[in-house]
Amino acid sequence: MVPHFAYIGPGAGFAFFGSFLTLAAGLCMSIFSILAWPFRMARRALLNRRSFRKARVKKIIFLGLDGLDSRLTERMMAEGKLPNLASLAAEGSYRRLRTTFPALSPVAWSTFATGVSPARHNIFDFLDRSLKTYQPRLSSARVGRPKRVLRLGRFRIPLSRPVLELRRKSQPFWTILGKLGIGSTILRVPITFPPEKFDGKMLSAMATPDLKGTQGSFSLFTTRIEKASYENGSRYPLRRAAEDFEGEIEGPADMCVEGSPILRIPFRMLRRGSAFELRIEGSQCKLEPGVYTSWQHLNFRTAIGVKVSGTARFLLTETEPECSVYMSPINIDPEHPALPISHPPYYAKYLANLLGSFATVGMAEDTWALNEGVIDEDAFLDQAYSIFEEREAMFLDALESTRRGVVACVFDTSDRIQHMFYRHMGASDRHANVIEEMYRRMDALVAKARTFVDSGTALFVLSDHGFCAFRRGVNINSWLRDNGYLYLQNGGRESASFFEGVDWSRTRAYALGLSGFYLNIQDREARGVVRSGREAEELKHEIAAKLSALRDADGATPIRTVYETASLYRGPYLEAAPDFIVGYNEGYRCSWESAVGKITAEVLADNPKAWSGDHCVDPVLVPGVLFSNRKIDAADPGIEDLAPTALNLFGVEPPAWMEGKALL
Amino acid sequence: MTTSIKLKNDLLKRVAKVAAAEGYSSAEEFVEHVLEREIAKLEDAQSDEEIARKLKGLGYID
Repeated sequence: MVPHFAYIGPGAGFAFFGSFLTLAAGLCMSIFSILAWPFRMARRALLNRRSFRKARVKKIIFLGLDGLDSRLTERMMAEGKLPNLASLAAEGSYRRLRTTFPALSPVAWSTFATGVSPARHNIFDFLDRSLKTYQPRLSSARVGRPKRVLRLGRFRIPLSRPVLELRRKSQPFWTILGKLGIGSTILRVPITFPPEKFDGKMLSAMATPDLKGTQGSFSLFTTRIEKASYENGSRYPLRRAAEDFEGEIEGPADMCVEGSPILRIPFRMLRRGSAFELRIEGSQCKLEPGVYTSWQHLNFRTAIGVKVSGTARFLLTETEPECSVYMSPINIDPEHPALPISHPPYYAKYLANLLGSFATVGMAEDTWALNEGVIDEDAFLDQAYSIFEEREAMFLDALESTRRGVVACVFDTSDRIQHMFYRHMGASDRHANVIEEMYRRMDALVAKARTFVDSGTALFVLSDHGFCAFRRGVNINSWLRDNGYLYLQNGGRESASFFEGVDWSRTRAYALGLSGFYLNIQDREARGVVRSGREAEELKHEIAAKLSALRDADGATPIRTVYETASLYRGPYLEAAPDFIVGYNEGYRCSWESAVGKITAEVLADNPKAWSGDHCVDPVLVPGVLFSNRKIDAADPGIEDLAPTALNLFGVEPPAWMEGKALL
Repeated sequence: MTTSIKLKNDLLKRVAKVAAAEGYSSAEEFVEHVLEREIAKLEDAQSDEEIARKLKGLGYID
């Protein structure tokens, strides 16, 4: 996507700050905490008695299966392939679950947490844009450099914490319950990075960066190249040394020294028959063809001696005649996190000590490595199920230890496997049943969760959206160009990513992100040209009507509905939303290029990637699922209804700002 | 980390009323949003390189 840049995340700086000031503060806090313990316990016991007085349940379990599709689920239940979900539906309820506009995980899970529409929680897409530069940003979190840095010669000593900000607004139901003394354990629910303080435990999920500050970039070490190259993942030369090989792992940049050089760790691979011994610093492990190593600790030392810890897994993908080794994105080490990834901060360490190290990056399954052919389908599945097992262990631990309160855990396996294997479904190849096997595995997980359900427990199994095929991409930017709404400088027709060469003085609309597009409004965008009010409204109607009439070469209709966002929901953050949400038909999605502001010659093009299933379509086509052991009367439940339902079950009146309605 | 800012009681009452009417979950959220919006107009934007690099690896975009 872009060449690599010096690490601009706070890893090294954060670790430095953590190792001195925080250590001292931590010591004081620990002493105080021990002294105050009896008083806190007494207060909590009193509060607990009051908190649960009106409660209709002792415990609520939310089991999130990201992307579990209603049509596939219903078909497999009818075929008897999902006995545990079928039995749960028979005992309690099953409904299709209305998703959000747009049907994207960061949006939908934020609505799950807060019980409000996107206009009230501020997450409309994976990306939003800078109104000054038109450049994309991650919509849900900001990670910035420390504000105060002491310069000592060539050294840069951070004197404050890096700026970390969760952009999701409103209040999750677990925060409200926590204030009333009802605790929750929230595991990997999307859009929980950085973790917020509340009365409970939380492990962050989607948007948690890797140690390099990206959303997860793999490395491939290979004898096939002589110079490093950087795409979504990075490729580095693997040098022969007699029978062995050696290379260098690139980590984060060292922000504690002038020029921010990249931190590196050398490694060697010593031949042991058909396998190798991988040596990294003082540690070693076996590297066998096609078998992932366990999580290996990577300690990067900065110029001032501070250690920044990450973890990665390695996979030998070929040995003869060329040799290649895949390395997963370098995850923030849960035992020594360089950024906060849990609340309380020690919770990630507790889990790692109890269950072993685990993936911490937001989207942990490495879809880009499969897209780019660095790992194959089987290796991707191994990785996805390994992450699933890590999460299952955390989930079961939370269920074991929770007598009262909420346990919510979201599993991404169902989403990632459908994204990457949709093209195999119905085919006759050996991966044709991968998606069905995944559904069966999720069904088995439901059986395990049900063993923790008693008469005082409400269990909800839900997904945030369904799935469709993604065969053709629509470049909305190219369509806007063809229809005179977007112009390139010097009469150009194509551009690189991020609107390079766009003539903003004549551009009236532009697309960014997966869900929709924006008008270029005066006094909102830095170089806006469309007057808000009547001119903008008329332009909206005109564009919506024209875009709905788009046809593919075979006469198919790529776009089902063009939604004007202001007609979908009302709230204080509406001005940050795309002006339109595009409801694609099944088989279509916003093209890869359009999502990052790249203008291509053609409006419609085939999707050539392994990523062949998607849900960025008209939300009415991809409802999620909702199962419960309780009877749900509502005919048309939405994902916004779960937060008020949780409050209601604990006898708490949902606050007026919540838009969802309690289902029970 | 947070710091408290004092508001006159009358203003706070008006803030709370408007915040509730607009769909904010608290008066603090309303005040933060208004301040952020105004400050964003005055602050420098992050460099494009920085922004683009952070998105690397996000499965949904190339």
